[in-house]
Amino acid sequence: METEAPSMENPKISAYYQTRLAHFGVVSTEWLAQAQSATNPNPPLPSSSTNSHTDKDTNFSVIDEFNRWRNHPDLAEAVAAIRALAAVISASKASTMMQLEIELKNASDTLKAWDTTSISLTAASDLFMRYVTRTSALEFEDFNSAKARLIERADKFGEISYKARKIIGMLSQDFIFDGCTILVHGFSRVVFEVLKLAAHNKKRFRVFCTEGRPDRTGLRLSNDLAKLDVPVKLVIDSAVAYTMDEVDMVLVGADGVVESGGIINMMGTYQIALVAKSMNKPVYVAAESYKFARHYPLDQKDLAPALRPVDFGVPIPSKVEVECSARDYTPPQYLTLLFTDLGVLTPSVVSDELIQLYL
Amino acid sequence: MQFDDQNRVGKAKRRALVNQTEAKNRVELFRHLPQYDHGSQLPNLESKLFQLDSVHPAVFKVGLRYMAGDISGVNARCTEMLRALQEAIIDYSTPPEKVLIRELTAKISSYISFINECRPLSISMGNAIRFVKRRIAKLPLSHTDVEAKTALCSDIDRFINEKIIIADKVIVGHASTKVRDGDVLLTYGLSCVVEMILLSAHDVGKKFRVVVVDSRPKLESQALLNRLIAKGLSCTYTHINAVSYIMHEVTKVFLGASAVLSNGTVLSRVGTACIAMVAHAFSVPVLICCEAFKFHERVLLDSICCNEIGDPGALATVPGRMDINYLENWTNEENLQLLNLMYDVTPSDYVSVIVTDHGMIPPTSVPVIVREYGQEHYLI
Repeated sequence: METEAPSMENPKISAYYQTRLAHFGVVSTEWLAQAQSATNPNPPLPSSSTNSHTDKDTNFSVIDEFNRWRNHPDLAEAVAAIRALAAVISASKASTMMQLEIELKNASDTLKAWDTTSISLTAASDLFMRYVTRTSALEFEDFNSAKARLIERADKFGEISYKARKIIGMLSQDFIFDGCTILVHGFSRVVFEVLKLAAHNKKRFRVFCTEGRPDRTGLRLSNDLAKLDVPVKLVIDSAVAYTMDEVDMVLVGADGVVESGGIINMMGTYQIALVAKSMNKPVYVAAESYKFARHYPLDQKDLAPALRPVDFGVPIPSKVEVECSARDYTPPQYLTLLFTDLGVLTPSVVSDELIQLYL
Repeated sequence: MQFDDQNRVGKAKRRALVNQTEAKNRVELFRHLPQYDHGSQLPNLESKLFQLDSVHPAVFKVGLRYMAGDISGVNARCTEMLRALQEAIIDYSTPPEKVLIRELTAKISSYISFINECRPLSISMGNAIRFVKRRIAKLPLSHTDVEAKTALCSDIDRFINEKIIIADKVIVGHASTKVRDGDVLLTYGLSCVVEMILLSAHDVGKKFRVVVVDSRPKLESQALLNRLIAKGLSCTYTHINAVSYIMHEVTKVFLGASAVLSNGTVLSRVGTACIAMVAHAFSVPVLICCEAFKFHERVLLDSICCNEIGDPGALATVPGRMDINYLENWTNEENLQLLNLMYDVTPSDYVSVIVTDHGMIPPTSVPVIVREYGQEHYLI
């Protein structure tokens, strides 16, 4: 069985998508888990010499820690980052609060530099920093107890983020009614969790999966759903408007949720949201709260570009340009509700939460 | 105060320091707003220079400048008013047997009502005044006159610095990230923050051009145009009647605001709503740039309830064109009323993002800012 060999040094693919590719080719997840454990999972990072954070006393590298967590295919990258940052605090040899904060900041910058295009990574690191350092325990004179409190908060944040998917799954159950048809785009582990839980609760529903070119996510998702005995229909990307009549709701995940309340997700989400809005179908987004980012894109070009080569199967003449952007921005007016671990929210609440956190 | 209420208007007139004659041909729909004859106002006030000893000279000067139209724009008006209040506070001394807090508050209120008579206060200036009154109320009773006055003056200085000057710099920082090479930016009216943004983006080296939209009778944007051209930006100048013609070229619209209300509506120079609506129809993002002190918890649904009426005579004449004199005797026509509105209200649907010193927020988050930073506002 062949999977595409991830070319880690290829600058045309952003690291975020390389990871997803590495974890999820068009194969089953069990095979993948075996393959992962068998192979050496950590290629040397191109700029690790300048970026890896090393303490003089210990050889603790936040990138190593991050990679260790990241290799678990079920774990979201952002959660891995949070766990790695929590480990930084525990392993820190700093003796003052300022020093610790500086160490944390350096670690956070290193992680962000690892992949500058991943929004959830940046957002999660920023939110972690705000959440952890926002405690009044920092006024304690005893450094050790303050540090213990920081570790406690960091672990708590890690736990919340880890459990976020389960919470979102539970909250979304009310929205899936018997006999409904759900259109899904892109392989989001949160969305899969939601559907898995619904199937487990013996709800009768069917799923339309878009093919999701060029990632072929639809094929993978339909594979997984078929195992759960959920009736799945594969739909090519161009047939979304054609099938939208039969659909009751659209459910997507998000790479990042921006301050306007819109989402950044796999290419094609904006299209589907537009079609759904014009046909009055609700669009639900399942996203963890650590994906809330402080960006505010005004249009599609306002995003940091994340490129993904498209394989057409036949050679393309070199004069012909190919649009290789991997993701698009869906403005908030096309979204109905956000399912997050903070609750079921409207898009305008994202800014509210961010303002309160950055107060 | 609603000016169609006869009793209250009568009472206010008796207390008024400035004699205002009602305008002839008042617009019936706007009877609740003050409509005074603009010709006689200024000479009238000037003649009172030495007669009004209840008004501090600095405050009188500010009132005079407001009436003459020297100062325009909320930031400038606010700063001048606060500076005048500062001077008045420095010269203030508590009469014997009286408490500083109450006396000073009463004096400030009388100064404010004088300034209000010269030119109606805008909504966001109310925020600044509330801040001053709160600071006075919070003064510890044990303070002597001198200590209290220095504390108040430094508070006012800090307000001007933090909420206006530094806030402007932060806004420029945020908004400049949204200007890209090849952009065509449209702006309307004379907003000092937008001017700063354009100049700073140009200084950083971004390549863009500007469309400056203007409107009669004030023709405020000509000053902006002059300053932009002097710095070397390439500009296009047009009037507001051509905005739908030019909007298809525009990539972003930058507008200033006089106040932002809790339901996300933006109170700004008349014509702004037009620009925002046309931009929305062409799917062009509209960025409103305003400092957080202009946010108010009030809600406005239309431009009629709260507005300001300017000089109707300015509509009747076109400076430099003596041949356009069809409205020369407009005051004698009974059936003719000229309406010169100063502000209008832009609904939140037409606004893409509001850039404030707290960051870029969607218009739905204005009440959040008012709630979260409202307390801190008065406690700085």
